[in-house]
Amino acid sequence: MSQAYRESLWLFAVTQALHLVAVSAFLGAILIVDLRLLGWGSDRQSHAGIARSAQRILLWTGLAVLVTGIPQFTANALRYYASPVFAFKMALLAAALVFTVTLRRRVAGADGDRLPTWMPRAVGAVSIALWLGVAISGRWIGFSE
Amino acid sequence: MPSILPALEWLEALAWATAIRESNWGYPIMETAHVASIVAFAGLVMVMDLRLVGLAFAQTPLTRIQRPLFPWQMAGFALSGVTGLLLFVVDPLRYYGNVFFRVKLVLLALAGFNALGFHLTIFRTVGRWDEDPLVPTTARLAGAVSLLFWSVIIVSGRLIASNWFD
Repeated sequence: MSQAYRESLWLFAVTQALHLVAVSAFLGAILIVDLRLLGWGSDRQSHAGIARSAQRILLWTGLAVLVTGIPQFTANALRYYASPVFAFKMALLAAALVFTVTLRRRVAGADGDRLPTWMPRAVGAVSIALWLGVAISGRWIGFSE
Repeated sequence: MPSILPALEWLEALAWATAIRESNWGYPIMETAHVASIVAFAGLVMVMDLRLVGLAFAQTPLTRIQRPLFPWQMAGFALSGVTGLLLFVVDPLRYYGNVFFRVKLVLLALAGFNALGFHLTIFRTVGRWDEDPLVPTTARLAGAVSLLFWSVIIVSGRLIASNWFD
């Protein structure tokens, strides 16, 4: 199955194209909250409500990102396994996921007044850096062979 | 109709375009910046569209979603536009005849008209429906069309690189 898929150039390209669409929506739901945490999205007081709704988008689009991402890996498992950029992307992804479901979730779901002002800012900045890093290193996998 | 091919050939032969095209890092860096900025930009547009079609942020007034995002959408669009233009200028003949490149350009224009139409018509009355979880049909339609167009733009952008019609 993996062999047929690998040899079908257009199927691979279409999967990757759909992966990018899912990544876009996922990143949008990350950024809309992070920009507010940074204080660059104006009204801080509404970020908890927006974060709750964004979380639903993250779950659905995250599922789509996985469904379109895993076949790319299984079709080229040995090549990706040997790629340092792929390993870097996966490490960054693991860090971004852990950060998002722990610290970021706490801070994004809290009312602004209960936290020291530097905290939401720091969490927003780290989150943007991690997730953009995942996206950038993902694109770079294709250049690293 | 005069062909624009000679102009593209002239562009491609420019010393700086040739230098970037033939350098090891020029294309990967421009392409990565283009992809990163376009997914960030499209994502910020899509979250607004999801509010318009009623799939997210229903409890938040539309303008409190959109106004703070606007400068970031513009910044993302500017960066993806500049990097996209650079990618084209240093290797114009590679893209010119590519069917997915043409589809992408047409849809970019259509997405622009959709956004312009939205802002010049239904969005002017936003004060009356800003807080409604379900916005007027025209606005919902503009959101759905935008989601569709930007998705197809991203898909055709990716497919430019693997054009099996060549």
